[in-house]
Amino acid sequence: MTLTLGHFLLVSGLLFALGLAGVMLRRNIIVIFMCLEMMLNAANLSLVAFSRFRPPIDGMPDYNAQILVFFIITVAAAEVAVGLAIIVALFRAKQTVHVEDLNSLKF
Amino acid sequence: MLIDFLPILLHVVVAVGFATVVLVLNIALGRAGKRTKIKDTAYECGVIPEPGPQPRFSVKFYLVAMLFILFDIEVVFMYPWAVVYRDYIAQHGMLIFWSMLSFVIILLFGYAYAVKKGALEWGR
Amino acid sequence: MIVPYALEISVVCVGIFLLMVDAFLKTDKTTIAWTGVVVLLAIFGLTFALGPMPKGVIPEAFYVLDPTALFFKRFLLLATVLTLILSIDYSPVYQKFVPAAVPQAGLGEFFTLPVFACAGMMFMVSANDFIMIFVALELVTITFYVLVASMRKNQGSLEAGVKYLILGALSTGFLVYGITWLYGITGYTSLDGIQSVLPRVPEQYQPSVLFGLGLVLVALGFKVAAVPFQFWVPDVYQGAPTPVTAYLSVASKAAGFVVLLRVLEPFVTTPTFQVKVFGILTILAAVTLILGNLAAMSQQNLKRLLAYSSIAHAGYLLVAVASLSAPGAKVAIGFYLGGYLLMTFLAFLVLLNVAKVSGGDDIRDFNGLGKRSPVLALALLISMLSLAGLPFTIGFLGKFFIFEAALASGQYVLVVLGAITVACGFYYYLKVVMAMYWQPPAPSATNIQVSPFGQFLIALLVLAIIIFGIFPQPILGALTHL
Repeated sequence: MTLTLGHFLLVSGLLFALGLAGVMLRRNIIVIFMCLEMMLNAANLSLVAFSRFRPPIDGMPDYNAQILVFFIITVAAAEVAVGLAIIVALFRAKQTVHVEDLNSLKF
Repeated sequence: MLIDFLPILLHVVVAVGFATVVLVLNIALGRAGKRTKIKDTAYECGVIPEPGPQPRFSVKFYLVAMLFILFDIEVVFMYPWAVVYRDYIAQHGMLIFWSMLSFVIILLFGYAYAVKKGALEWGR
Repeated sequence: MIVPYALEISVVCVGIFLLMVDAFLKTDKTTIAWTGVVVLLAIFGLTFALGPMPKGVIPEAFYVLDPTALFFKRFLLLATVLTLILSIDYSPVYQKFVPAAVPQAGLGEFFTLPVFACAGMMFMVSANDFIMIFVALELVTITFYVLVASMRKNQGSLEAGVKYLILGALSTGFLVYGITWLYGITGYTSLDGIQSVLPRVPEQYQPSVLFGLGLVLVALGFKVAAVPFQFWVPDVYQGAPTPVTAYLSVASKAAGFVVLLRVLEPFVTTPTFQVKVFGILTILAAVTLILGNLAAMSQQNLKRLLAYSSIAHAGYLLVAVASLSAPGAKVAIGFYLGGYLLMTFLAFLVLLNVAKVSGGDDIRDFNGLGKRSPVLALALLISMLSLAGLPFTIGFLGKFFIFEAALASGQYVLVVLGAITVACGFYYYLKVVMAMYWQPPAPSATNIQVSPFGQFLIALLVLAIIIFGIFPQPILGALTHL
């Protein structure tokens, strides 16, 4: 069996769906955050797959998408750093990381 | 086709084998003797011991870890840069060098900020 | 003559410089903010001395300079300057909610981060490639995570920060996955490239393109606060520090709309996608108009009311986006956002000054403001009337241009809906005015003094709202010429 673009896209779509389901269903902010990272990685996977399976131009594959993957990785790292800092600050203030307990802003 | 993966298979076998051998040797040669659950519990004057609280980590640890990840991940840009560096210089001139230099300088400012704000001081 | 992207580079340099001043010099932190204000105003001056784009240094696919981009660069610089001024006003409140190991802890970052956000947004309005759009957008979003959550002893701010973080990161995920699919089908990350390929996309791949575009639209919908992606807006606006709320509602929304325009450009000019894309946009605009205006009517907190009004205004702007086939639509969006900047900052300036004295931002804290501080009451009156769209204010002309464009492109349903919701708007904006002039002040309420500089700023904004409401030509000119 050879791996085709379809296989990669299937895995990436599954990852994205799993991540999205996790964001919707989970109640722990840290787990939600992990699911968000999974969605980004789903995109990374399909970007690389799309780039790899494109017909090469002048003997060179198309690197644009792979560069975008590098940017996504770094940005995700920055997002995690800031996000965890905010979540730690929230935990220190409220002693909880559950979304149900975020209810002080209501009209 | 499959023969290409032989080195990887060998690698896996060696890694697993080494770990197994070392663990088995440890049990065979070590003088730990037979361990039971009761033998392993702490002695607290006859009171059934309770599990202790979670060990406390300093938040500093997370801070340093995050900074490490941030500065570490930036290297990702240098790999593709280094790959095309020679060819690009030959064709288009030094722009690629100054771009990376300015990137590194910006990072350096970030580092200076982190140091000055005391984010890297383990002791306190 | 300077190269166009020197603007962004200098803003980044200013940000780094201010950060270093904050870290290494023991100056009073408000000097950092004032330095930022002065330097950003100088950069604003530089925007009038731009030369043409040099060839070959940055590929044109990445960075464009057209009248829209230039107008919004000026817009963003001004918005940042106003935010910094509001932040200086707000700093006593801010310090109460930040754990202070040393005096004025956290203030330096509070004044510096808007500068970085400004650089990111200036890149955003010029970005013409999904890589650039993504990086610029994330620079802005991550900065805003920090800014929103920065009052660490205030649970509202932290909660707002976490909500913004989760939903912002979610929208990033959608954006990236959408870009993936657009790239996968067209083979380009640049919008010019996508434009060149789109007419030739085979029929069986068209759903995939629409799927990708849909995901990107979801992400941008989050950024511009369009229904049904608006859940975060009321909570985040209420919880965030007031200057950040103002900045978020004006600058981030404007930059989001410019990116939306750029991303939509290839799709609305390609006949095969035009009808479907406009259909989606029309529905989005209608839902946003209705929900934003209806939900605003029951609000008792002015910050929340302004949040829902911000959703409503996103609705009017989306009407213009859905009418992009009319020639005046782009200009109408620029003009509307320009007016929105003036009115919103005026409202938040008053809100901040009142909340500092009364300690709350509910509408009842504004009771009798007409007696307690006639200046502030008059300013808020003008701002509310302009937001509602009374003639002879900039808000009226903005709505007028948008409805004109909508009529020209045949969006009659949206025009009717818009007219009805404008009437709703009068109801909830005038509720605030009623409280100020018809309700007696609370017995404990004191009179409010405004600093001379604050009065000057209020006068400036009020004059701009009225003058540009009668003579719109300077703004229209800036939107059509480089």
